Amino acid sequence: MDIRSQISMVFHLDKCIGCHTCSIACKNIWTDRKGTEYMWWNNVETKPGTGFPTKWEDQEKYKGGWELKKGKVVLKSTNKVKTVTNIFHNPNMPTMDDYYEPWEYDYKELFNSKESDDQPTAKPVSMVTGEYIDIKAGPNWDDDLSGSPIYARNDINLENLTPEQKKQMFEIERLVMFYLPRICNHCLNPACVASCPSGALYKRGEDGIVLLDQKRCRAWRACISACPYKKTYYNWSSGKSEKCILCFPRVETGQAPACFHSCVGRIRYLGVLLYDADKIEEIASLPDEKLVEAHRSIILDPFDEKVISEAKRNGIADSTIDAAQKSPVYNFVVKWGLALPPHIEYRTLPMLFYVPPLLPVMSAQDGDTVKNINNEFFPDFEKARVPMKYMANLFSAGNESFIRYTLEKQTAVRAYRRAVTVGDIDMKDAEKALLKADCSKEEAEAIYKSTSLSTFEERFVIPASHREQAIEMYEDPLKLKQETGFGFKDKPKRGL
Amino acid sequence: MRKLYFIVLAILFFLSFSVLYGQSTEEFFERNCFSCHTIGGGRLTGPDLKNVDQRKDTAWLEKFILNPEVILRGGDPYAAKLLKEARGVRMTRVAGLTSGLVKNLLKFIKEESAKEKTRFAKSALKERPLTPEDIVLGRQFFLGTLPLTNKGPACLGCHSIAGEGFFGGGNLGPDLTSVIGRLGGKTALMAWLSNPSSATMSPIYRKQPLDEEEILPLVAFFKSKSEKNASYMEVHDFNFMIFGFIGLILVLLIFDLLWGKRLRSVREKLVKGELE
Repeated sequence: MDIRSQISMVFHLDKCIGCHTCSIACKNIWTDRKGTEYMWWNNVETKPGTGFPTKWEDQEKYKGGWELKKGKVVLKSTNKVKTVTNIFHNPNMPTMDDYYEPWEYDYKELFNSKESDDQPTAKPVSMVTGEYIDIKAGPNWDDDLSGSPIYARNDINLENLTPEQKKQMFEIERLVMFYLPRICNHCLNPACVASCPSGALYKRGEDGIVLLDQKRCRAWRACISACPYKKTYYNWSSGKSEKCILCFPRVETGQAPACFHSCVGRIRYLGVLLYDADKIEEIASLPDEKLVEAHRSIILDPFDEKVISEAKRNGIADSTIDAAQKSPVYNFVVKWGLALPPHIEYRTLPMLFYVPPLLPVMSAQDGDTVKNINNEFFPDFEKARVPMKYMANLFSAGNESFIRYTLEKQTAVRAYRRAVTVGDIDMKDAEKALLKADCSKEEAEAIYKSTSLSTFEERFVIPASHREQAIEMYEDPLKLKQETGFGFKDKPKRGL
Repeated sequence: MRKLYFIVLAILFFLSFSVLYGQSTEEFFERNCFSCHTIGGGRLTGPDLKNVDQRKDTAWLEKFILNPEVILRGGDPYAAKLLKEARGVRMTRVAGLTSGLVKNLLKFIKEESAKEKTRFAKSALKERPLTPEDIVLGRQFFLGTLPLTNKGPACLGCHSIAGEGFFGGGNLGPDLTSVIGRLGGKTALMAWLSNPSSATMSPIYRKQPLDEEEILPLVAFFKSKSEKNASYMEVHDFNFMIFGFIGLILVLLIFDLLWGKRLRSVREKLVKGELE
């Protein structure tokens, strides 16, 4: 056993309202510099939809992540030979159009334009070329466009859905959508780290945050094709790639990352997980259907005496073990089995987990009023507007049983709480539902509390950092805020 | 031991002197001056040097020989006249010249001028009428299809000439199409070829000189070229440009073959595919 600690995340999609506050918080802190305008280390996508960059989940095109070859897990985008042959041109990268051309507005047009019959408008100006542009796409172009014939219908996760299921999803009265906020997953088996020819990417020993060394990066951009989640970005100005750093300067000082901190829906949870690093390769090489279960099994019980002693032997601090025992992520992922990894079939073993949304409301417009077309509070999932197959494609490599399990449990907890507080559901029915959902009353209470009533400290259990172990921070990270801003301490020798 | 050291040093010291001064003035003249100048034999590329000291004062001559370019650029009227007479061929600065050597040279020229008959009046090369076969042979020597006896490099490596070689010749030396006229006729060209004294050619052809039976065909070849191409234009540069362009397209095609399957825009296709 080689026990290590990982700062891990849960996003509770049932609570996400798609307000993009997280994206803005991140943008304002980290990516408001030249060359980073188009980057969204945190972005929120509407599902069904094609996301950012467009169709990032289509690995036939972008060649991200890992694949099994002769039982061995290998990178899809590159290997030792391809690294050399493609050294001057990495063939599978998103174009600027697939991200978007970032723009600003020329606000002086509002004041200086000539008198005319129409109101003046602020003309969009490209932040890359500085020319006026006609905006054709943006980082969130299909926001709330669940029925969009172009974007939503090209969602990769619609694969293997029956024609009826597809029809059902796009039926105008029953149109459905939910939001998928995405940051770097800080994977256990990160493809970006494996692909980097310069060794610039690394997974931090103390907390598993994946970072990109700005001094070592030589802009080969191998990480950009290799990351299946397209969460490393190339800074065209500095000539270096950049990625989400999980706000490590904040985490090290006991604060939640900016996107977590600012989340109005309180959908985000952060905590430590202990895992066995020896098992990573073995688990990443398993067939698709076994991945979710195996991925969960790599996470160790932080209360197990043997695990604790092994962890201590491996240099994990008591404060970290303590945090792991209080970790909300451990509860959601392992204890309750509610949270699932996104696209586990890419085999990077992501350490960001999602609680799939219920989307229970089913109503239709009836003349001028909205009529409830389903009399039950919690209908059968088979009839859900988002087919379970779709959710399974997204969160469990196509295995619907995990989706059914988590949705059933969430529904049972709601039914139980409704029986307790409102009383219009019979307690016996609620208990039956709990039993069916593999959930005790205590567990239901815990889930309810953790979902609805948890405080800041309960949602973000950040272990005390051990600065003597931190290699990144020799200087006060906030020293230059409001002066030259964040960015490079020394000007890079390459770039523009 | 220490004594031996000094002896060796002393020997080396004198050896170096003997190398420097062992080369007699006469030899130096033959190697470096005789390719363009005679003494009493009329002009070759440069003027006849007989009694040169009577035409111009010694100080000027010394300065000119040491570095002709300084005086040529200085706008000296006599130097301009000389340049005109030489049809624009500028005297090169001879490597290894010292002011002492220049003095010796002038003394040597004076002595030779006084002689009734000097071997520097006329090139030792045999003369014979040039035949059409010479032209063919000369072309082969020029192109290097027929190797030179002393294994010297072929002319084409550094020089171009009208109508030879698809890409033209090298660009290091001047174009040789009208060289015979430029250097002042057959005799002058022969004298030059028997002992080329420019900074680039001299170190090469001193070790691997051209044979007498190679010089004559080459001269014949140059002569025929200059007669045929009186109004010669450099087409080779144009050829080269065209070929470069074709090459560029070929390289781009190879790149496209290699990386043709690279990922092109995803979103654009997505949008177009739906709109069509």
